[in-house]
Amino acid sequence: MVPGAYGHRQRKNYRSMDKPVKKQKVVSGPYRLNGDDGKLYAHLNSCVHCGLCAETCVYYLATGDERLMPARKVDLVASVYKRYHTFLGRTMPGLVGARDLDEAMADEMVDLLFGACTMCGRCSIHCSIGVDISYLVRTGRSMLAEMGKIPKTLQSSVDLALSTGNNMGITEEELRDTLNWLEEELRDETGDPEARIPIDEPDAEYLYTLNPREPKFFPLSVTAMARVFHAAGVSWTLSSKMYDVTNYAYYTGDVSQAATIAQHMVTEMERLRAGKLVLAECGHGSRALRWEAPNYLGHTFPFDVITSVELMSDFIRDGRIKVEKRQTKGPVTLHDPCNLARTGGIWKEQRYVLSQTVADFVEMHPHGIDNLCCGGGGGQLAMSEYNERRMKIAECKAAQIRNTGARIVVSPCHNCIDQLMQINGAFRMGVQIKTLSEIVADALVSESNDVTT
Amino acid sequence: MEGGIETLLWISRISLLFCLLFCLYYLLRIIRAGRPRDYAKPSGSATSGVRYAYTGAMHPGRKESAYLHLPTYIAGLVYHAGTLMALLIFAWWISGLGIPAAVQPLIAILLAITAITGLSLLIKRAVSGKLRSLSNPEDYMANFIVSLFQLILALDLWQGNISPILLITGSILLIYIPLGKLRHCVFFFAARYHLGYFYGSRGVWPPATQKLSQHG
Repeated sequence: MVPGAYGHRQRKNYRSMDKPVKKQKVVSGPYRLNGDDGKLYAHLNSCVHCGLCAETCVYYLATGDERLMPARKVDLVASVYKRYHTFLGRTMPGLVGARDLDEAMADEMVDLLFGACTMCGRCSIHCSIGVDISYLVRTGRSMLAEMGKIPKTLQSSVDLALSTGNNMGITEEELRDTLNWLEEELRDETGDPEARIPIDEPDAEYLYTLNPREPKFFPLSVTAMARVFHAAGVSWTLSSKMYDVTNYAYYTGDVSQAATIAQHMVTEMERLRAGKLVLAECGHGSRALRWEAPNYLGHTFPFDVITSVELMSDFIRDGRIKVEKRQTKGPVTLHDPCNLARTGGIWKEQRYVLSQTVADFVEMHPHGIDNLCCGGGGGQLAMSEYNERRMKIAECKAAQIRNTGARIVVSPCHNCIDQLMQINGAFRMGVQIKTLSEIVADALVSESNDVTT
Repeated sequence: MEGGIETLLWISRISLLFCLLFCLYYLLRIIRAGRPRDYAKPSGSATSGVRYAYTGAMHPGRKESAYLHLPTYIAGLVYHAGTLMALLIFAWWISGLGIPAAVQPLIAILLAITAITGLSLLIKRAVSGKLRSLSNPEDYMANFIVSLFQLILALDLWQGNISPILLITGSILLIYIPLGKLRHCVFFFAARYHLGYFYGSRGVWPPATQKLSQHG
């Protein structure tokens, strides 16, 4: 059996958005293992099984299970490549560890590539050779997607995003109700009866996205960012049609579906003619839209894409908003989302923001681009079948937080926030979990130098 | 006997040519395949990232795989340096070029040391449960044949003449290099290029200082 021999799975008609989706040329096909892709070709042929990556991975650190080492995940993908594309793999598979891609192999790949990897990339940056391990895991996931082996729980998030425009299936009416209520909250909090949460307003300076968890479960984080926009006095808008910053198809490995979701956002930017697309606090959403989407769609975006973390940092630096350092009950620490820091280069900005807004800050060790994954990435939070494993690896993050002595944990990622909240409960941490925008909103100073809260 | 050595010398030379041509083929294929076109607007310098990938990122202090496993990492560096040295000397020798007698014992001692580090890595692979679970037969074989080659070359240099066993071992190694895992001698450089490009364009590499916190 060769890669792709399982055939393409039947796809549903996902064109149920208001606007018809443009037919996209999908330019990235990372499941091709035949050497057409120089990056893939290089990484597939480079792992030497030194095993030195083991301790970089939270799965191995927390469990000690040799099966969960990053190199084992590389080996799963590379062994298939070797079997069909190398001389020794074809002639002496047992010698070089080349394996047929059969059902048993596919099941093992599902378990390890979907169920035991957050694609945080920590192993890649520390690999002795320089193998981009998370890239190979993503390639393996793409192979499994071709074979119709995506875990149903993860695929359901993608299906909802494709059919409703957001991964939680929030209706437009539900969203508008929530935003109307939040607008009243905003007016109360700012004391400005004219304060607004604009929806679908064309030609705004910024189109702000949301993680659907916000309107669904954490609406006050929407208000927090609205307060920041209000204080900055800039024109901004939300979209009622396509506001979902996430793209779980990035995690399923289905490039075609990832492209469709990305195109929805591009279409909405074109419809509303906003100046910049501002990505809500979401690690993988930021990565998918900022870095991957242009490649899914095969063109550079005609607009700028920035994260809300960068925006808040710029607002403070430029004096667009005034903040003051707030005293907290105990130190504040920061969890860096892997997709924002390690694979997005954004780690200084959130530190700058915190240096201006909290009086007592303490770093985790390690942090920044070396930070340990919280365990919620890679689609793990969506795949309930791996909950036990996910909470097991969360021990690493719990220990990191405990060692800081912090009472507040900030993370500019709603996915991480969700996992951190579960860690907080499961490990009886007794800490507060906050988004960065909540910290900034709490530190805002009004024009009359009164704290706005 | 003389004729036998001469035949083995020619086999070695052909093996060397096979190895070089195959590695060149890989290199050309890597270059032709290029890198996936990145349409995302960069936030850093890909060039700086690539430069850093080959320099600063290789520093043991920057990689957990190095600083958490310093003895293994150092052994690996010594072993790889020995392998490169051994292959160059072997190629030099079978090409009919002489090696000054005065330096032969010194090189022999160095190669003996690098061979021992290679064998130590082989023993580690065999003893460590973690590595055993990751290894396939080729991992042991590759390590063994390279260490053996270094050791035999060291002995021959010590004695000052090329033995048939060195020529046979060297030929097998040279044919095996492009076919098995040792082809990473070419792909390693490509992997680091791609990693550097990735992290460079995203502004991750080269890293700025991370000490911005109040408590450090």
